[in-house]
Amino acid sequence: MVDDASAGEADLSWLHMSQDPNLIAQWIFRSVARPLAIAWFFVLLALIWTFPLQHVIAYPFVFLFFGAIMCSAWFGGFTSGAMAVVMSSIVVTFFFVPPLYSMTIGRGFQSYMVAFVVCAIAITAVSSARKRSETTVKAARDQLEIRVKERTAELERSNSEIREREHQLRLLTEAIPQQIWRADAAGCVEYCNGNLVAHVGTDTNSLRGEALFSFIHHEDAALFRHTWRAARAAGEKFEVQARVRAANGSYRWFLIRGNPQLAPGGEVACWYGVHIDVEELRQAQQELVLAQDDLSRFSRTFSMAEMAASIAHELNQPLTALMTHAHASRRWLSAEPANLERAVATSEKIVRDCTRASEVVRRIRSLFSKTDYVREPTGLNALIRDLARLLRDEALRHDVSIKLRLSEDIPSLALDRVQIQQVLLNLAMNGMEAMSKITGERELEISSEMPTPNGVVVTVRDHGVGLAQQVRSKMFEPFFSTKLGGTGMGLAICRSIIEAHDGRIWADDLDSGTAFHFSLGLGNQ
Amino acid sequence: MNFETTDAPKQTVYIVEDDSSVSEALSNLIESAGLSTQLYSSAEEFLEVWSAEMAGCVVLDVRLPGMSGIELQAELAEVKSVMPIIIMTAHGDIPMVRKALKAGAVEFLTKPFQDEELLLAIEHAFALNLTERSNRDLLKSILLRYSSLTPRERQVMELIASGLTNVEVAAMLGLRVVTVKVHRGQLMEKMQADSFAELVRMAERLKAS
Repeated sequence: MVDDASAGEADLSWLHMSQDPNLIAQWIFRSVARPLAIAWFFVLLALIWTFPLQHVIAYPFVFLFFGAIMCSAWFGGFTSGAMAVVMSSIVVTFFFVPPLYSMTIGRGFQSYMVAFVVCAIAITAVSSARKRSETTVKAARDQLEIRVKERTAELERSNSEIREREHQLRLLTEAIPQQIWRADAAGCVEYCNGNLVAHVGTDTNSLRGEALFSFIHHEDAALFRHTWRAARAAGEKFEVQARVRAANGSYRWFLIRGNPQLAPGGEVACWYGVHIDVEELRQAQQELVLAQDDLSRFSRTFSMAEMAASIAHELNQPLTALMTHAHASRRWLSAEPANLERAVATSEKIVRDCTRASEVVRRIRSLFSKTDYVREPTGLNALIRDLARLLRDEALRHDVSIKLRLSEDIPSLALDRVQIQQVLLNLAMNGMEAMSKITGERELEISSEMPTPNGVVVTVRDHGVGLAQQVRSKMFEPFFSTKLGGTGMGLAICRSIIEAHDGRIWADDLDSGTAFHFSLGLGNQ
Repeated sequence: MNFETTDAPKQTVYIVEDDSSVSEALSNLIESAGLSTQLYSSAEEFLEVWSAEMAGCVVLDVRLPGMSGIELQAELAEVKSVMPIIIMTAHGDIPMVRKALKAGAVEFLTKPFQDEELLLAIEHAFALNLTERSNRDLLKSILLRYSSLTPRERQVMELIASGLTNVEVAAMLGLRVVTVKVHRGQLMEKMQADSFAELVRMAERLKAS
């Protein structure tokens, strides 16, 4: 069956396809031959039935032709209907309208024929329009069905894609070497990945709810709970470090990080948490802190106290020998009778050991002699800044703030970097210790200035307890100390270093605290 | 000062000190007091020659190459040396003093020291050593005599030394009083006890060892 819509399409495509004889033949069949055949068939059927029936029903009987036209228009379309109209008109005029068997229409029958033709045309129009609309509805329904099928297939496809993607995601969360959990909006844990479960050594079900967090070390539990509660209240991500118990009962440090997943409405839908093992990191940090401690202790204690102790020991041994020999000598001489031989031998040993002792003294002096210094052009301000950086932790421990006030016109100086740093370190540490007992602001100020064109002055000022008069007069002397366990060498060594740099070191008593100054000459840069 | 001793072997001061000039001076001083010395430059060297027969005392420096003075002190206690120890140090810190004195050092000297300090310490140490050694020798001879007793005599000795009478001992051991008296006479003779009181003292020493 061919509908008008497709016939129309064929009409339009005819122009393009005119070159193709096969297509032209098809067009002729669809648009001419087929409607003609349909029209012929129905009109002939009507004609055959009208002959016997005209003797029964009133004359002239033509109603069957309306049926033929209607059927032609229904099955063959408008063209077929129009052809049936023409054929019916001819057949009716020839066979049934007087004069019979001629194409002329008798008088009195003209109006009848006109009515017949008009009715026929109307039937054609109505029937074909009806048919067309029915075809359109059917086509639309078919199309709809196809669409639904397509849509269903599409949905199924995307469903399986989602399932696949979810599976992949699950595989990913299990595969990455991190410990992951998910909690609902209220903070109840719903899911833990394999790594997390393996680490704490239990099964997923027994980690649900709050159970997961019971593996946190009791000392860190309060901090964690507080942070976690605050994060839930605010709906914001959080981060906290805590020790988590492993399957074997040992604790390791973890960085626990949680992120809220927001629903489209803006409220928290769920929480994702990740545990990152930071045990090694923390150990490294602690080692760094210890190393820094050691460094400052080394630079301070070793150089000063150890040197003093080793000098003391070096001198103590020959002194012991000397004193013991002297005692022995006295005993040999005061014996009855006096043992002169042993007394003389002892005296010789005294002389020998004296030489040894003075050798020790000479060696110590040479440690501080000028010739041993390495002098390099050095930026004094940079050196002070470096030192302040080194002292940062020490200052935090003493609750002291370090303030630098450095003059920008200080030229580069020829000096022994390590030794000057040693002096500064010593003065700064003294300053911080002097402030350890005060309640006011603890500020240590290190300043550099150039009061005259041929010298710079560095000042280390504290707000500490100040210096007693008897301390002031003796503090630069060796082995003078006000501290328990102090070696009394710190300021003495500072002075010898500064003097070796053609400078001078002195102290000023201020209203609050003390200022230590040292000058450095520009002469030998 | 008088350091005369009655018995051989002669008491000697054993000096363990790595600084040769110091040990030489110590030896000089100690010799001026009429005593003999032996010098060792390390703890290991001294331990090699040590024997239980050595008499006198040890003068030790804390700071020694290899084994320290404190470690040597522990080692000597381990081998049951009865020689008193005098410790010397150049830096007398309190924990070390406490440790050394706790381990039984008789004196702790901080270098440099006065001659009297050292010599008095040595005198004290010698006296201590003498007593220790005579105690040890006495115990040895008592043990020797005790080993010559028969088991029955040992039983009787233990009981009478604990204060029981002959009659009580006889009843306890199921013997006749006469037999107990015989045993008693024999063991007194074997133990070379002049009196009953001396026998009791011997029994106490044996018990204490």
